[in-house]
Amino acid sequence: MQFAQLSDRVEINGSNAPMDTRALPGVWINSNPNTSGIARMVMSESDGQLSLQVFAVGPDGLIDWGNARVNVFAGLPTSKVGAGFTCNFDFGFAETELQGMIMKGLLVLAQFHRFKDNSKRADFFVREYFALEHGRYE
Amino acid sequence: MSSAIEFKQTGHLDSALLDPAAASNVEKLLGRWANTNRETRGIAECEIQRDGDQFRIQIFGAGENELIPWPPVRAKALANLEEEAGQRTIALAASFEFGFMKSEIYIRVNKGVLVIVLYNTFQDDSGRSNYLNREFFYRVA
Repeated sequence: MQFAQLSDRVEINGSNAPMDTRALPGVWINSNPNTSGIARMVMSESDGQLSLQVFAVGPDGLIDWGNARVNVFAGLPTSKVGAGFTCNFDFGFAETELQGMIMKGLLVLAQFHRFKDNSKRADFFVREYFALEHGRYE
Repeated sequence: MSSAIEFKQTGHLDSALLDPAAASNVEKLLGRWANTNRETRGIAECEIQRDGDQFRIQIFGAGENELIPWPPVRAKALANLEEEAGQRTIALAASFEFGFMKSEIYIRVNKGVLVIVLYNTFQDDSGRSNYLNREFFYRVA
């Protein structure tokens, strides 16, 4: 078994169980009501594939980025429990990569924005926090 | 910034993105860094050097008896316009291709601690789950 770090070298017991992604679907709300970036995200599942719809803050209301396919990651190579994800949005003038990690119910989202136009804007990153709307205490 | 500039969020229109200083303050990233957890089974050490307007990243994975050098990669700094813990941070994002696995990482410094987040995707048929990890490093040189 090839590995680049010891944590890659694990014994797999032949289990071909699908990834448990129950922690991911739902509506995720930015903890910062004054964000100038992503305000809300909707993670949905269809036929075992997760997708993410993003709504970002614009000058005249929320901007729907549409849906992107989600790649799910576990916390260990032996785990079948989804603990994070990545996905990409290509807007033509810019690309945005999202990398999410769930910690104690909080989604920590790293956003990487790279401009492809000639606007001379600096590529930038943002790290923000999102909570899943669960309605349990309402 | 002109309204003709395309955007998908208000943050794309932040005038600070046109400020060359937005991606400065990179010295905090440079140097050799060791994992705060000496028992780590992940990344043991990391070395970041400036290479023109980019950065050369060399990672050493934890091995059985010695470190495993990953192929060095180059990355461009990403500005962060928001302060975190009272400091403006800088990040690097890079991708490592091993054939059997691809590792996408991002690196940032917060209050002198280097944080590396990895997203590892296996490309072999080993049955291993793609997994993420986050580790912390202190500067050794």
